[in-house]
Amino acid sequence: MRFTPTELTGPELDLQAEVREFLAAELPPGTHEPCLGMAADHDREFSAKMAARGWVGMALPSRWGGSDRTAVQRFIVVEEMLRWGAPVGHHWVADRQTGNVILKFGTDEQRERFLPPICRGELGFSIGMSEPDSGSDLASVTTRAERAGDGWVVNGTKIWTSNAHMNDWFICLLRTAPMEDGNKHAGLSQFLIDLRSPGLEISPIPFLDGSHHFNEVTFHDVFVPDANVVGQPGMGWHQNTTEMAYERGGPDRWLSPFSTVEQLLREAAGTQMEGAVSDLFGELAARWWGIRNLSLSVARLIDEGEAPSVESALVKEMGTRYEQEVVEKLVQLIDEEYSPESESLFERLLAQCVVTFPGNTIRGGTIEILRSVASKGLQGLPA
Amino acid sequence: MTVRTAPEPVVVDELITETADRLFGELCTHEAVQAAEEAGGAPDIWDAFCETGFDLIAVPEEAGGSGGTLAEAIEVLRLVGYHSAPIPAAENGILGGWLLAEAGLERPDGLVTVVPPRAAAGDWSGASCSADGTVESGPAETVSGAAGGANCSAHIADDGTAQLRGSALRVPWARSAELIVCVCESDGQPAVIAVPASQCEITPLPNMAGEPRDTVSFDGATGVAAPVPDGVDAEALAQRGALSRVALMAGAIEKMCQLTVSYTNERVQFGRPVARFQAVQQHLVWAAQDAALVRMAAEVAAREATRGEASFEIAAAKLIANQAAARATKACHQAHGAMGMTQEYPLHHFSRRLWSWRKEYGSDAHWAGVLGTMATGVGADGLYPLITSGTSALG
Repeated sequence: MRFTPTELTGPELDLQAEVREFLAAELPPGTHEPCLGMAADHDREFSAKMAARGWVGMALPSRWGGSDRTAVQRFIVVEEMLRWGAPVGHHWVADRQTGNVILKFGTDEQRERFLPPICRGELGFSIGMSEPDSGSDLASVTTRAERAGDGWVVNGTKIWTSNAHMNDWFICLLRTAPMEDGNKHAGLSQFLIDLRSPGLEISPIPFLDGSHHFNEVTFHDVFVPDANVVGQPGMGWHQNTTEMAYERGGPDRWLSPFSTVEQLLREAAGTQMEGAVSDLFGELAARWWGIRNLSLSVARLIDEGEAPSVESALVKEMGTRYEQEVVEKLVQLIDEEYSPESESLFERLLAQCVVTFPGNTIRGGTIEILRSVASKGLQGLPA
Repeated sequence: MTVRTAPEPVVVDELITETADRLFGELCTHEAVQAAEEAGGAPDIWDAFCETGFDLIAVPEEAGGSGGTLAEAIEVLRLVGYHSAPIPAAENGILGGWLLAEAGLERPDGLVTVVPPRAAAGDWSGASCSADGTVESGPAETVSGAAGGANCSAHIADDGTAQLRGSALRVPWARSAELIVCVCESDGQPAVIAVPASQCEITPLPNMAGEPRDTVSFDGATGVAAPVPDGVDAEALAQRGALSRVALMAGAIEKMCQLTVSYTNERVQFGRPVARFQAVQQHLVWAAQDAALVRMAAEVAAREATRGEASFEIAAAKLIANQAAARATKACHQAHGAMGMTQEYPLHHFSRRLWSWRKEYGSDAHWAGVLGTMATGVGADGLYPLITSGTSALG
């Protein structure tokens, strides 16, 4: 394990400046309600504007509609969007991981069909991994796809499916062969499923604050053509593990409370700031600087052709805990009681952080699972 | 659209890493480090170190140094920490060697050490003499030894002769030094005073790792004072000192973490290596994160300090290192169980040094205060640019 320090090149600094100018024009500070990191609003129009700049699916090849950019360039765009609290929800999953999976494992026909609209910011994807009886033990999934003519028939239930009610497509890990003793990773396959397929039922699971992100998705004999199988049937576990590496270690795992902290500083401007409050801004700036340098070095490793899965897991485990620590430190300092409907934007954001951030160390793989992945890597064992 | 350019890369010669790692690996065995603690020093290790020229790395050649960059000196210090080498590499080189070179003062053949500045109310530079420091006579310049809490003062005559009185606390390896160097302010100008250790009364005192942090009484001592350029002051010394500690700490945390991974893989309980237990894995992962974080902080801060002003990076790095030392030391000790609490097992060489280095050249509270002034100074719109661009965003 080695995190090599890196820094932005001249053209990368230009990109950073361009993104900042774009955001200052599109979402001037004080005129929009910032989103809390990747749990961002879905705004197809905003996604289309980003896509017009080449900032969605930007690391994908231009042959498939992408911009031939790098992981570091994507990092720059993503960190600016997230720290600004921009509404990147619509294209988020497709941009972060699904596009990569289709590029890496898909057929040319699938690449032609999916990647250009992803890069235009048109397609929203949901992820179908967890099931009612399969969470951290993901390989135990039982939702099955069975051969039927020139395709597959799917039955079962996926759960905690974010935004299935708003998205277009569903990338699902399904069982295509019965579980074998001693090798539960075999017999799994990845499918692309139209969320409007006949027999596919989407039911809301209200989030704890009453908002609607989660869904339960039930398959009743849903037909999926062969053309929608990603990669080799039976290789789903391997492909899915690869996909997870794209999910981890990026700015979305450590920037979620940034807009809240920035807003506190904005609202405190001109007031006499207590020493403890000032010190906290200093500490947070330092720690974000440190974590950002680690996370940036992971992006650079990806561009150098490495697969930094241990490094990514370490950053995600640390970053998501840090997000919660930031909120706890704010809570300890603030005298006022706050509400999701406070007049102060800072208080509204803080209330939302307090209530929803327990989920940050759960989503996309719990920190307990990440520790298992990372510590095997530290010991030189296969993850 | 403007086309920005990245600064020139700062590269550390791999040969430096390999050579220092091999040298310390051979010399700094568990037994040798233990023996150095009992003897209050390790002259043989120091001599071998000096033979490589690493003792004066980053000190300009025209000032009798070995040349090389600050980043290379910091890499050597990281390896000093990694091997718990019981030598005053920072004091003699990038701190003392730097001050003497800036002052144009001659360096002796023997060891040079530095009186650490002591922060007073978060301000390294605004220090004046403490209660004990009133200079008896005359209108000549009245200066403090180091900033803040150092209870020493000097009277500097026109010919540069400095008469000192008072004392300085926790001066690293003073008992082995030939020359003791401190920074001060003389008539509003920064100056450096060098005092032969033979003129001082030195009372040995160990830090928590048994390394010398002696009390130096200057009463009656005569030294030489010389002006230094603006910017070579207590604050600059504090930053260099903090950077040196971050590098040492990065090495120590990394080694402590490696010891913990090995130990938990060998130690079997309930029929399997304890590293297989999720509760133990948590300690391994947290320690590995802190090792990575502090090494990154040290390397980025060293890179920026090599280029020039790095007040944000160094402050951030020391605060991060202080906090990480606390967490990682706890995690590694917990994973080792009782074995880590023995003198026989080497974990303590690292954990005890970390407890000491954490407190040197700025506590958590000190650097958080410095950083807080920077962060609130740039304001809401400048906060993220400060995180991405560091000191250069301070304007």
